[in-house]
Amino acid sequence: MSAQVMDNAAYDPVDGRSPLVLGAKDFHEITEIVAAPMEWKLPKAWFIALGFSLSLLGLLAVSVGYLVWEGTGIWGLNSPVNWGWAIVNFVFWVGIGHAGTLISAILFLFRQKWRTSINRFAEAMTIFAVACALIFPTIHVGRVWVIWWALPFPNQMDMWVNFRSPLLWDVFAVSVYGTVSALFWYTGLIPDLATMRDRAKNRIAQVMYGIFAIGWRGSNRHWQHYEKAYLILAGISTPLVLSVHTIVSFDFAVSQLPGWHTTIFPPYFVAGAIFSGFAMVLTLMIPARKLFGLERLVTVRHFENMAKIILLTGMLVGYAYAMEFFIAWYSGVIYEQYAFVNRAVGPYAWAYWIMIACNVISPQLFWFKKLRTNLWVLWIVSIFVNIGMWFERFVITVTSLHRDFMPSSWGYYSPTFWDVATFIGSFGLFFTLFTLFVRFLPIVAIAEVKTVMPEADPHYHPPEDGTAAEGGKH
Amino acid sequence: MSHGHHSMELKPEAIRLAENSTWRKLPMIAGIIGLASLAATMGLAGDDPKGALLSYLTALMFVISIGVGASFFVTIQFLTRAGWSVVVRRLMENLMAPLFLFIVLFIPILLNLDVIYKWTNPELQNPDSPYFDYLAVVKAPYLNESFFTGRSIFYLVALAAIGWFFYSRSTGQDESGDKEVTRKLQFLSAPAIMILALVSTFAAVDWVMTLDFHWFSTIFGVYWFAGSFLVALCTTILLVLGLKKSGLLDGVVTVEHYHDLGKLTFGFVVFWTYIAFSQYFLIWYANIPETTMWFGLRLDGTWSGASVLLALGHFVIPFAFLMPRTLKRIPLTLGIAAAWLVFMHYLDMYWLIMPTAHPEGPQPGLIDLTALLGVGGLYFAVFGWALGRRALIPEKDPRLPESLAFENF
Repeated sequence: MSAQVMDNAAYDPVDGRSPLVLGAKDFHEITEIVAAPMEWKLPKAWFIALGFSLSLLGLLAVSVGYLVWEGTGIWGLNSPVNWGWAIVNFVFWVGIGHAGTLISAILFLFRQKWRTSINRFAEAMTIFAVACALIFPTIHVGRVWVIWWALPFPNQMDMWVNFRSPLLWDVFAVSVYGTVSALFWYTGLIPDLATMRDRAKNRIAQVMYGIFAIGWRGSNRHWQHYEKAYLILAGISTPLVLSVHTIVSFDFAVSQLPGWHTTIFPPYFVAGAIFSGFAMVLTLMIPARKLFGLERLVTVRHFENMAKIILLTGMLVGYAYAMEFFIAWYSGVIYEQYAFVNRAVGPYAWAYWIMIACNVISPQLFWFKKLRTNLWVLWIVSIFVNIGMWFERFVITVTSLHRDFMPSSWGYYSPTFWDVATFIGSFGLFFTLFTLFVRFLPIVAIAEVKTVMPEADPHYHPPEDGTAAEGGKH
Repeated sequence: MSHGHHSMELKPEAIRLAENSTWRKLPMIAGIIGLASLAATMGLAGDDPKGALLSYLTALMFVISIGVGASFFVTIQFLTRAGWSVVVRRLMENLMAPLFLFIVLFIPILLNLDVIYKWTNPELQNPDSPYFDYLAVVKAPYLNESFFTGRSIFYLVALAAIGWFFYSRSTGQDESGDKEVTRKLQFLSAPAIMILALVSTFAAVDWVMTLDFHWFSTIFGVYWFAGSFLVALCTTILLVLGLKKSGLLDGVVTVEHYHDLGKLTFGFVVFWTYIAFSQYFLIWYANIPETTMWFGLRLDGTWSGASVLLALGHFVIPFAFLMPRTLKRIPLTLGIAAAWLVFMHYLDMYWLIMPTAHPEGPQPGLIDLTALLGVGGLYFAVFGWALGRRALIPEKDPRLPESLAFENF
């Protein structure tokens, strides 16, 4: 019995499975595929992308600068809608920042080997998304220069933070999450940075990669420590990734506001975060794979798996929407009932139905294998999910606030130019970081992908005729 | 991961009960205990029919959750094309098979709704009555006896159908080894999970949450699911260890499978806690009387001891205990954890249901034990029948070799 029969990543006894790596001759070819874009002469397209991203980043700088100068009055916030796009954007970005750690940590603990081709990319996306998310609550405080008051440390003013506020828990949750995600990402990068160091053609690259590779030589002892560290970080990250969006959900759910105070919020927010995060991975990965020639490493099988997770989490989110509606009716509380009826038929019904169409209905296409293996369908649905998840946060935030308990204070919230500019600008930061990432770091985990190839098995025997093995194809 | 030298020859005596095996007596012993205990439960009911019926409901919710959890486990294994779990899947399928029993076992509940469920009282609907209750009026379209009974029958039939379908199809593969069976069950597992999710959610809401019809919580269905999955895992661990003790499954279920079952159990201890905490914390924080009173009853006075025991015993202790790798791999320690968690899940059901009967504090009695032995006895009698009928593992499952060779690394 050959080793491949046991390895379900490569071989499936029922329907067969396409290999995780298509047609790579040997380990070295993987290195070549991934390292090539970092060694190309910089193409014009990259400069265009960077220029475009930087101009959006400039828009962010102007928007934030003007906000700091003028105050949050430049936004559309008003009574009763005191939380508007800033909080919507915060939750939107934090949500996107969940896929990376899910792929790296949870799929790792579940022995899902297909993660190796996409984890580096998704983790980078996570860190950049968390950076974008942090902007919004920071600038929302108005006086940004005293944001350090959010941290609890003894000071001469006898100021102390309010530990009872979930907004403060956010400070801890998101910053810890950002830190651990970055550590996890960096730990995984070390062997690949050493590879880049050893391949470097110029002195600057060699020194820079060398510094960050912290002396990695690939010895047996290095690998043992590395794998232990990776497992521990995966174990720590798993509860952490669940806790972050749980605490974000507390921002709403600890209140008494109808539409916000409901016990299913924590797992519902986590499911939604994974949903939106995977959608963003698809949105970025489909073009990136084409541009950087990664078709043999990121295969249709990877996309199909991601589509299935999107289908699953989309239905979990749909379950939560349905339970909210049912329990709002069942509770017999007229305020609860009104909040939900108002969502579906009130002034913001358009936003609600965009949310339902994008989040619940559009992923249903993924029931069909033909559709979930078609890259165009995948990409378009991923865009729908991104839009739908932004609207979900908009619906939760704005519709619950805009009709207060007192009809005399009812209002309609509209964003201003600066709300929109800040949000678009945050994409500038995201894309700028991404453009730099795809140029300077290996966007696929070189060392990890090699471990899922049939050749990684110590009992592997190359085929007699000397051709490349394509695991599983018997 | 194995490297190819594992022998695939299955010893028939390892995967099949011998003719003289003690396990073959399980249907008869459990059946007699079950029937006798049910008779004793009826005898003990005496002048407190409400307390007796709620004790019986506690036993029902506890035992049915094993079958529901097993159904989720099996369908998820098919959906994800899991390989490692094949050697323990048949035990889970045998736990699904007896689900049809509950169609009969629920009859005493459905015939006595007016004793158990306060919302059935017509006085609540009468504006001139001192018992008039506005919430009972607005909830009447959902909470009325005929609709409730209809829904209950639907849940029970759906669970029985899914349980029997997966059991019979999977055992049907034992002779043919037809891959079509696997393909078909994989295909049907997705709709089955959706039905299970809806049925278990609304069953938990109807049978348990509406005991206090003023109270509501959107996460309640997930809470019951979390406990169900956990108790199914722990029951399976105990069954595996018991069979191994009798010399069965030798070389089939290994320490590697213990380890994975232990890891999943650990995961679901945390998941249950996460859900329980979300429910408690949000209600406590918002402090709205309609929802806090449910916890108020359980945290004040003599029920507070049960609540503390639940927090410690269902989370803190097993969390710490199941953390080390070694303890998940030693049969004795894994078995202790599983048995403890089965007990904790019973406490959880008791804690959900019995405050309705005894708001003044827990009054565990003989009747709780007889109800549990009655329902559990009949359930495990059918389980025992299924156990002896076929091999202890899906012997022709195409993924069996992967499961046999499975190793954590």
